[in-house]
Amino acid sequence: MQKKLLEIKDLTIKFHTDDGVVEAVNKVNLTVHEGETLGIVGETGAGKTTTALGIMGLVDCPPGRIEGGSILLDDRDILRLNEEEYRKLRGKDISMIFQDPMTALNPVFTVVDQIAEVIANHQQLGEKEAEKKAIEMLELVRIPAERAYEYPHQFSGGMKQRVVIAIALACNPRLLIADEPTTALDVTIQAQVLELMKDLKTRSKTSMMLITHDLGVVSEICDQVAIMYAGEIVESGSLEDIFENPLHPYTNGLFGSIPDIDKEVEFLSPIEGLVPDPSDLPKGCKFHPRCKYAQHLCSIEEPVFQETSPGHYAKCFVYEGKLPVKEVKKYE
Amino acid sequence: MSNHYIEVKDLKKYFQTPGGNLHAVDGVNFTIGKGKTIGVVGESGCGKSTTGRLMTMLLEPTAGEIYFDGKDITKLTNTEMVEYRKKIQIIFQDPFSSLNPRKTVFHSIAEPLEIHKVYPKKAEKENKVYELMELVGLSERFVNSYPHELDGGRRQRIGIARALALNPEFIVCDEPVSALDVSIQAQILNLLKKLQLQFGYTYMFITHDLSVVKHFSEEIMVMYLGQMVEKAPVKELFANPRHPYTRALLSAIPVPNLKKKKERILLQGEITSPINPKNECRFAARCSFATEKCREEVPEITDLGGGHTVRCLRIHEI
Repeated sequence: MQKKLLEIKDLTIKFHTDDGVVEAVNKVNLTVHEGETLGIVGETGAGKTTTALGIMGLVDCPPGRIEGGSILLDDRDILRLNEEEYRKLRGKDISMIFQDPMTALNPVFTVVDQIAEVIANHQQLGEKEAEKKAIEMLELVRIPAERAYEYPHQFSGGMKQRVVIAIALACNPRLLIADEPTTALDVTIQAQVLELMKDLKTRSKTSMMLITHDLGVVSEICDQVAIMYAGEIVESGSLEDIFENPLHPYTNGLFGSIPDIDKEVEFLSPIEGLVPDPSDLPKGCKFHPRCKYAQHLCSIEEPVFQETSPGHYAKCFVYEGKLPVKEVKKYE
Repeated sequence: MSNHYIEVKDLKKYFQTPGGNLHAVDGVNFTIGKGKTIGVVGESGCGKSTTGRLMTMLLEPTAGEIYFDGKDITKLTNTEMVEYRKKIQIIFQDPFSSLNPRKTVFHSIAEPLEIHKVYPKKAEKENKVYELMELVGLSERFVNSYPHELDGGRRQRIGIARALALNPEFIVCDEPVSALDVSIQAQILNLLKKLQLQFGYTYMFITHDLSVVKHFSEEIMVMYLGQMVEKAPVKELFANPRHPYTRALLSAIPVPNLKKKKERILLQGEITSPINPKNECRFAARCSFATEKCREEVPEITDLGGGHTVRCLRIHEI
């Protein structure tokens, strides 16, 4: 068994706004082992990014607040760290690739400066040495050294994202959080970036947490998958578990919503309804208003997140034997 | 004169920029049959949205002809165009910026009806708005809501209702689902399909996502840097892609299926500049099959029969 690197227990994050309390993340449990890539899948507002910001200690406070739970990195609860200690951790032990490379970089600094900044901050190196190392990082992400002294606006989207990746990897972090790293890119560029990330992952053995809404990307790069809905994990398991044997009705709905390039269908089978408003979540199972299998029980009681086979968890009454249905039909 | 419902001939749009002439659309030809859908696919900057805007005459073409039911709409005067605007509508990509934030759902949908003075009686207009809302699956209770109160899926439904308000015949869908979540995407795609079956609309479906058009259209045109590189009926294109770019594009799509992992063709480099393009195959710089000859001339279009056309010099060799 691999060693646990990151363990999140019952993490709860709420935003206290004028319009009420937004329950962004509710009792989330996640584990990332060393060298492993965990994919977190969900739609807008599912709480994926908030979870990531929670780990990075970047939840805006106020209005946001981590209300409960713990985040253990090597058995040390990082939520108890003070700001100074957190600073030392961020960028060195855990780093993050943000979604939009167009806004993640500072437009008034050259790219080499932006990479050298992280290195100089964490590795007590002189300016010259940090710069040298920064150029090495650029070459690692396949950007020629002669472009190091250019500004972000001189780079294309794909290259900017490579720079962001170089910054994130500059100090050999143990955990890399990638928040929709390829969403803003074209498919052929996405393929290049994914290939690069796969390559870097095998080379440096960094653990990764990949946040995405694209199940296709997940199948390319992840070992473990967690499906999030309305601030909760509704299903988690190995890549094979989720793709070959999806259990939760929401997971099946997600697969049914994707137009399959190898199939002939007239109509897709979408999930009816909308993602619930996180400031006004339904009672019971959060998914019940959109669920085909929902019974009265689902609207009053919350199902337990339980193991159905080793390592494969689902949060649905079907698997507690409390619904008349034997199993959730696999999408066609 | 032709018997095609929509026929586009040698359509060009150049933009004057400080750097030179930007060839956004450079000689595009295609036809669409009545009630059919053509999918236009390509990456950022390939000219697909510009083509869509030219089709609706929101932009004036630099050269070329667009025949709509036998009539060249590029030659029409502004007053003549008003009539055609009713028949040709567009659904925009971003439902967050394409709606007026100060107009309620009712006013947004009623606006085209008011501009074209379709229903002089207020009651009739109101009925039509409610009818449209029902058609696109928007609950009546949103009639007085403002766009910021609604989520992306509902906003896109308003955009669709607006496009349908004047009973159009031809609708340009410019990435209508790219800004939406997967579960909502599928709802909107199904809605558009249902409307087409019900009213016989003709669609031009612009997208960067090949899996979306596969599900939707009869024919697909792949664009690269302002030019069509390959055009074929859907099944043919997916079963037998001929242009190196189409092959790379198809192989780049991450498939959510563990058993069907494809060999991936990774393209080198990135899209080149569309400003003052050289007289060469536009894809040559990224193409692994490119030879000297590809850098000397722009390839002509080769007709492979069965509606399959490709713009590649080495088509019979690769």
